Amino acid sequence: MTRSAAVLISATFLFACSKEQDEAAFTPNDLTRPAFTIDELPDDASAHVPGAIVVDFKDGTTKAQFDAIESQWGIDLELASEEEGVDSAITVATGVDEVDEEALLARIRLNPDVEAAEPLMKLTASFAPNDPDYSKQWNLQMINMPKAWDKSRGKGVIVAVLDTGIAYEDYEDFKQVPDLKGAKFAEGYDFVNRDKHANDDHGHGTHVAGTIAQTTDNAAGVAGVAFEATLMPVKVLDAFGSGSSAAISDAIRWAADHGAQVINMSLGGGGRSQVMANAVEYARKKGVVVVCAAGNGGRGVVEYPAAYPGSVAVGAVGPKGVKAPYSSWGKELDVAAPGGDKSLGEEAGILQNTIAPGDYTKSVYAYYQGTSMATPHVAAVAALIYAAGAKNPDQVEKALYASAHPPAGQTGWSETYGHGVIDAQASLAALKKLQAEGDEALTVAPRLEQPAEITGELHSYTFADLNWTPLAWAVGLLAFVLLTMGRRERPGYFNLLFSPAFAVPLVLVTIGMFFFRYFLAPSELSTLFTLPIPEWLSKIIFGRGSLANPIVYSALIPVVLSIIAIKFTAWRPVIGGLALGFAGILGYSAWAGAPALAWLPFTFLAIPFLVVNAMVCLFVARAMLRTVKP
Amino acid sequence: MKVTGEVKFQDLETGIWTLASDDGKTYLLAGGDRKLKKPGSRVEAEGEVDGDSLGIAMVGPRFVVKSYKFI
Repeated sequence: MTRSAAVLISATFLFACSKEQDEAAFTPNDLTRPAFTIDELPDDASAHVPGAIVVDFKDGTTKAQFDAIESQWGIDLELASEEEGVDSAITVATGVDEVDEEALLARIRLNPDVEAAEPLMKLTASFAPNDPDYSKQWNLQMINMPKAWDKSRGKGVIVAVLDTGIAYEDYEDFKQVPDLKGAKFAEGYDFVNRDKHANDDHGHGTHVAGTIAQTTDNAAGVAGVAFEATLMPVKVLDAFGSGSSAAISDAIRWAADHGAQVINMSLGGGGRSQVMANAVEYARKKGVVVVCAAGNGGRGVVEYPAAYPGSVAVGAVGPKGVKAPYSSWGKELDVAAPGGDKSLGEEAGILQNTIAPGDYTKSVYAYYQGTSMATPHVAAVAALIYAAGAKNPDQVEKALYASAHPPAGQTGWSETYGHGVIDAQASLAALKKLQAEGDEALTVAPRLEQPAEITGELHSYTFADLNWTPLAWAVGLLAFVLLTMGRRERPGYFNLLFSPAFAVPLVLVTIGMFFFRYFLAPSELSTLFTLPIPEWLSKIIFGRGSLANPIVYSALIPVVLSIIAIKFTAWRPVIGGLALGFAGILGYSAWAGAPALAWLPFTFLAIPFLVVNAMVCLFVARAMLRTVKP
Repeated sequence: MKVTGEVKFQDLETGIWTLASDDGKTYLLAGGDRKLKKPGSRVEAEGEVDGDSLGIAMVGPRFVVKSYKFI
């Protein structure tokens, strides 16, 4: 029975392969997926049943024909399935001489009655753990765990969890949580209380450790990603979830010196610390993959330590694979992983076993959300990749990045998803390819400090409300500029206002290509270009969702362009319109309470900054519009 | 320094308390006392930003409250 099942699967696979080849001729490469699949990789030798082959005859081949062939080839063919019988005409021969197998298969394939002949492969269904709440772990399906577990479970790899500790032992009044019974632990350290017992008095670290190596297939609780890996509890955060950069820097070096191959840091904040940056570099040079949370501010700032070079910065997605609202982004972001999005309901969080908030002796199963929850998925998959034979952090990271899935409709790297959502199975396949063909076999998308190429719909777009006020401001300021001019310098009111060279830039800068909204469907591009020019410049140059940028929200562009217009006088009305537009939008922004400007250290500086720049723009506009009399 | 804003409880990580200041910044609340934990209430708080602290919240700088009054 098992054999016939194996043969059927094998035959289906043959059929699927031939079909794939036909389609490959006219299907363009889907760049959102890795350029290979696990099935194309060199076959696992252990899957081959020795001395057994499958021969698929043309349908309708009779028993008499089989018998004739049997004696001709000197093998004993049996129908693979009694029910299907000669209808499917799939047969299996066992006891074939293993040395001659390939030659025999080649001869068999020449027979006109044979559709296909191949070695018999043993295929087993993917591992499905028996943990009762495994079905609630959508996150494990999202990163393709069931198939990955067939290849690697992280055995022997030490993952250090630098956090609030782990409820890993019964010690004094601490209790191990039940779903970590059977998990493996390396000796850790408590950098807060300065002893060897890095127990959890908060609840965060145990949850994070659970995602990495919750005891799995134990008929209790939930599953973990790399459940055969060894956890190293390192407590760096106190009972309130805070710690100092000095303690964390020490702990990074300590973990690297004590055999950790992966460090998980679901923590962040504070300013840049050269001491910690050096510690991260030290660990990575020792062969440690350092994985850190990007941050929960929902803003364009990747927190430290995730932002240090050598650290893998992880953002969070919800169950739909869309970036979670709280997940921070930026040019340092490397990958995304499931971190939960409870705006879609409690069960859209990440479920693990931890200690109760407020009572560290009680065990609970809790749904949490945060980039802290996304990070251990990546750390654990890094452990799977190490356990599968990766040699150094470069290989681990390459396998992770090359196999990650950018969101639907995007290709390559982006500030919001990094290389995309990780895929455990595909990353192991990527490692296999890398091992077989060398490090150059995989290419990782370059990091572009601009939005990834948009090839389809990702978000549902709506046009922002049309705001005429900046245009009104510009027109008002135009009147003011004209009034400051002497009669002889002043251009005619009407010929100026109705000259497209002047009016078009003025409108574009203040209200954008507003007319698009009346005949174009809302899309990333059309919603962008219906915004005022400074907004779309800000978004194109600095990325979606970035703060208003003081380079764009200033007199810089009009001033630079006006220098050009000194020589090319025909451009003067255009620059004049542009400068007036900028004056209008800057004046409006200051009046409306000022947008949060990026990089500006003090918020109260924003309004004076905008006012001064608006005045410079007015000055430029006046110079451009003044009629130059000979 | 003085920060005026709203006390918030956010369901992130294990649950975190923040102070959303009127100038649009988010601080991680620390210090003060348990009576400060009133979601939605407006406070004027005196305290210091702890620039050396890292933690699980990752929403913004940690603001250690020394004194506060509800407004």
